[in-house]
Amino acid sequence: MGPEVERELIRKCRAGDSRFYEPLVRAYEQPGLRLALGMLGNLEDAKDALQNAFVKAFEALARFDLKRPFGPWFFQILRNQCRDQLRSRKARFRLEALDERLELRPADPEKGPERKRERAQARELLWGALEKIGEEHREILILKELQGFRYGEIATILDIPEGTVASRLFHARRALKEALQDMGAEYP
Amino acid sequence: MSERVTHEELMRYLDGEVGPEERTRIESSVEDSTELRRELAVYKAMKDDLQTLKLSDGGHHGSVWNSVNRHLTRPMGWTLLIIGSLVWAAYGIFVFLTSQAFFLEKMATSAIVIGVLLLFASVIWERYREWLTDPYRDIQR
Repeated sequence: MGPEVERELIRKCRAGDSRFYEPLVRAYEQPGLRLALGMLGNLEDAKDALQNAFVKAFEALARFDLKRPFGPWFFQILRNQCRDQLRSRKARFRLEALDERLELRPADPEKGPERKRERAQARELLWGALEKIGEEHREILILKELQGFRYGEIATILDIPEGTVASRLFHARRALKEALQDMGAEYP
Repeated sequence: MSERVTHEELMRYLDGEVGPEERTRIESSVEDSTELRRELAVYKAMKDDLQTLKLSDGGHHGSVWNSVNRHLTRPMGWTLLIIGSLVWAAYGIFVFLTSQAFFLEKMATSAIVIGVLLLFASVIWERYREWLTDPYRDIQR
């Protein structure tokens, strides 16, 4: 969906017609669900957070700056919703549930089952380490590595200056490296 | 860590967020420093491993649009229902009070209406008190 179409839909939503919100919800629910899943670790809480974030975003559309893209602004609301849920008693990061939902990208069939097993072990280690490093480090790594956002988008979502993103990423990566080392993983 | 390359610059280089000039300068520093090369290799390996992970939503969930839409339209429905009910109630009271009915009839009708309202309020109050002390109220179904 192009930015001009988004702006037009938002203008119509602001006029009070919530039917024009549906294309926006459908366009952003998949990446939104992945972000919420990465932050909360289980599908039920992630769907709750996603739904509440869409409702809050609709209610805040009057304050939305039409010169900005909708995506990062919505993801900022969603991220805050996930953090609120984590702080409340309603949700906590549940690695065991997340692990069941994880998939690896298709492995090279020529490398055989040994490589597949190694990758499965690496996956378990990585998620164990991500759980240990805490919410702040985990969220920026998920935004960068699993969601593939650029620094500018991450800055908008986390509501921090763009110059701070590199610093936050460095601390998160260093924390992850230390957590992996504590768990016995060796990196070159 | 080389004096010429900060941790932040290394991260931007790793993530492809540097311009051509900065890239050349960082690559030159990396070539000159074994420590920097090792550090970059560690973060590059971690980045590659993280990028092999993919978050899955299970692939079988429906859209959240229906539940979002319910949340958006329900408050409007309640607001209209309450406003309409209040207007009709006020009009009914006005018609009742200004009608030509006998005083006794008015008293009996008022007693029934007030009685129903009191019973309704007491049930609501009881439910509210139960909810306050319910140890399972934060448990989601």
